[in-house]
Amino acid sequence: MTHSKKYKMADIILQHEVEQFYYMEAQFLDNRDFSSWFDILDEEIRYFMPIRTNRIQRESSMEYTKDNEFAHFDDTYEMIRGRIRKLQADVGWSENPASRTRHLIANIIIDFDEKSDRLDVSSCFILYRNRLERQVDIFSGRRQDELLRVDRKMPFKIRNRTIHLDQSTVLSNNLSILF
Amino acid sequence: MSSNRKADYIHTSWSVEGLESLIDDEGGFIDPRIYTDENIYELEQERIFARSWILLGHESHLPNPGDYMTSYIGEDPVVVVRQKDRSIKVFLNQCRHRGMRICRVDGGNAKAFTCTYHGWAYDIGGNLVNVPYEKEAFAKGINKTEWSPLQARVDTYKGLIYANWDEEAPSLKNYLSDACFYMDHMLDRTAAGTEAIGGIQKWIIPCNWKFAAEQFCSDMYHAGTVSHLSGILAGLPPEMELSDSEIPTKGLQFRAEWGGHGTGFYIGEPGMLLAIMGPKVTEYWTNSANADKAAERLGSDERAKALMAQHMTIFPTCSFLPGINTIRTWQPRGPNETEVWAWTIVDADAPDDIKEEYRRQTLRTFSAGGVFEQDDGENWCEIQSVLRGYKAKSRPLNAQMGMGGDFGKNSEYPGRVGYVYNEEAARGMYAHWRRMMTEPDWRTLAPKQSLKRAAANK
Repeated sequence: MTHSKKYKMADIILQHEVEQFYYMEAQFLDNRDFSSWFDILDEEIRYFMPIRTNRIQRESSMEYTKDNEFAHFDDTYEMIRGRIRKLQADVGWSENPASRTRHLIANIIIDFDEKSDRLDVSSCFILYRNRLERQVDIFSGRRQDELLRVDRKMPFKIRNRTIHLDQSTVLSNNLSILF
Repeated sequence: MSSNRKADYIHTSWSVEGLESLIDDEGGFIDPRIYTDENIYELEQERIFARSWILLGHESHLPNPGDYMTSYIGEDPVVVVRQKDRSIKVFLNQCRHRGMRICRVDGGNAKAFTCTYHGWAYDIGGNLVNVPYEKEAFAKGINKTEWSPLQARVDTYKGLIYANWDEEAPSLKNYLSDACFYMDHMLDRTAAGTEAIGGIQKWIIPCNWKFAAEQFCSDMYHAGTVSHLSGILAGLPPEMELSDSEIPTKGLQFRAEWGGHGTGFYIGEPGMLLAIMGPKVTEYWTNSANADKAAERLGSDERAKALMAQHMTIFPTCSFLPGINTIRTWQPRGPNETEVWAWTIVDADAPDDIKEEYRRQTLRTFSAGGVFEQDDGENWCEIQSVLRGYKAKSRPLNAQMGMGGDFGKNSEYPGRVGYVYNEEAARGMYAHWRRMMTEPDWRTLAPKQSLKRAAANK
């Protein structure tokens, strides 16, 4: 995307559609409606959060762990199904009692080819979590998504999500929530 | 204070008798203040972390000369560097001039390290080699050897890198002693050895390090009861319910004769391993060409193929799960906080799809977001929070499981070996903790001495 891009009405409508999609997704997660969230995932999804490290400038290419290295998340569709089963279980102690979360989504930049049904979308998030008597966690970061256009009823499915968390050492006792 | 300050103990409000009263190995009592007291924590830094072998990483983390990673021995930051002669050096990550951190990143490759405060420069062995304006500004000269950072002793056991500050401490091999037999289930399945999957995951749990170390040392009970039910559920095929899964009941626990190490495992019942690692890895571990090779190498079909969901701690903070292959150091960060540094290893000659499966399954189950590990953090921080209470700290906790049980000689498994649901290994860990906290030197602490004494008491 270049700075000199001329926007058409269709771009504005698409931006609105994507924003509304993300707001709906955030609502699913914050309302603990994980089944609805699962419905907007494509079965081929890779849900990936690499680890971020501290590096000197000349080795900054090593900042993120690579595809075949350790990560915070690297889930398939079936692995996410299992996570949701845990989130909804009576015996899932890390989320029972449940966290109070708020996903704020912003800085949405869409990159797409009009001939394709695929969108590459970058968005930023602040995820606030408050839990039990007084635990507070604040996560910020960027999500790089691949969205697929499906039908009118559900405008997009999330085909891939890479999450870059703005932390090296995760400053929380666990990552029992979804990003 | 001269540069030759005598290495004496930190001033403490605790008497030896007071420290001794905190742990009762025979009675199975733990005084909760060992998890909360600031002075005890300070003493641990000196008497445990500055005297024990601490896990820092895997040889494959540093394949080339100049490759380095930063880590910690207790709260002391260190740099771990591969040398040109393939040896590994570990030195305190502190410039002796004004105490600045010499290396400020997690890792990389370096030809030298330069302190970013005044430019004192060190070679990759941690020797001070250049002091800016040395001739002009240090009229009396400066002894660069004397003002180099402190070097630790370094040794490896089958790929794992350990370091120890204490010149008097036993060798790593003697320190691990009969625990090696159990470590080999993970570390010595093939002549090719193991390799680490790249990347170390770090996160903080607001709890004392001993909760984590003890659980991996001694606690199969929490896995076989209620802690991880939802973790098991997360790994089941959608059509299966918890009631369809079989939680194992047969197995053994080991308490090291010396050193506070412990382990436990199920035998012949794959339910837990299957729930954690899935069918592919379970098949690899129990029924594959590599498993046959492991059986030959370990000289036992049972040890190579039938031991499942093994948990283990090498005192104080090195924990791992053979078969699941997650390894971690519990970095102490005050009495109320632990930083977990976790990574995964695989057999170096495992097929690529198995390596990939290990990577994905361990980060699905044993990581900050792991469907098993999430619930561990939950338990430990709740305990830590409860222990703020005066009454909560005023009575001992119960570590009596397995007391009076059979720990007779087992012809196949060395050490004190009993039933898998047990706290004998925890009692061993805390008994060693008590010795480390109260005995001033290795003349009494050394393993041989402890074995002799045990023999004399029989």
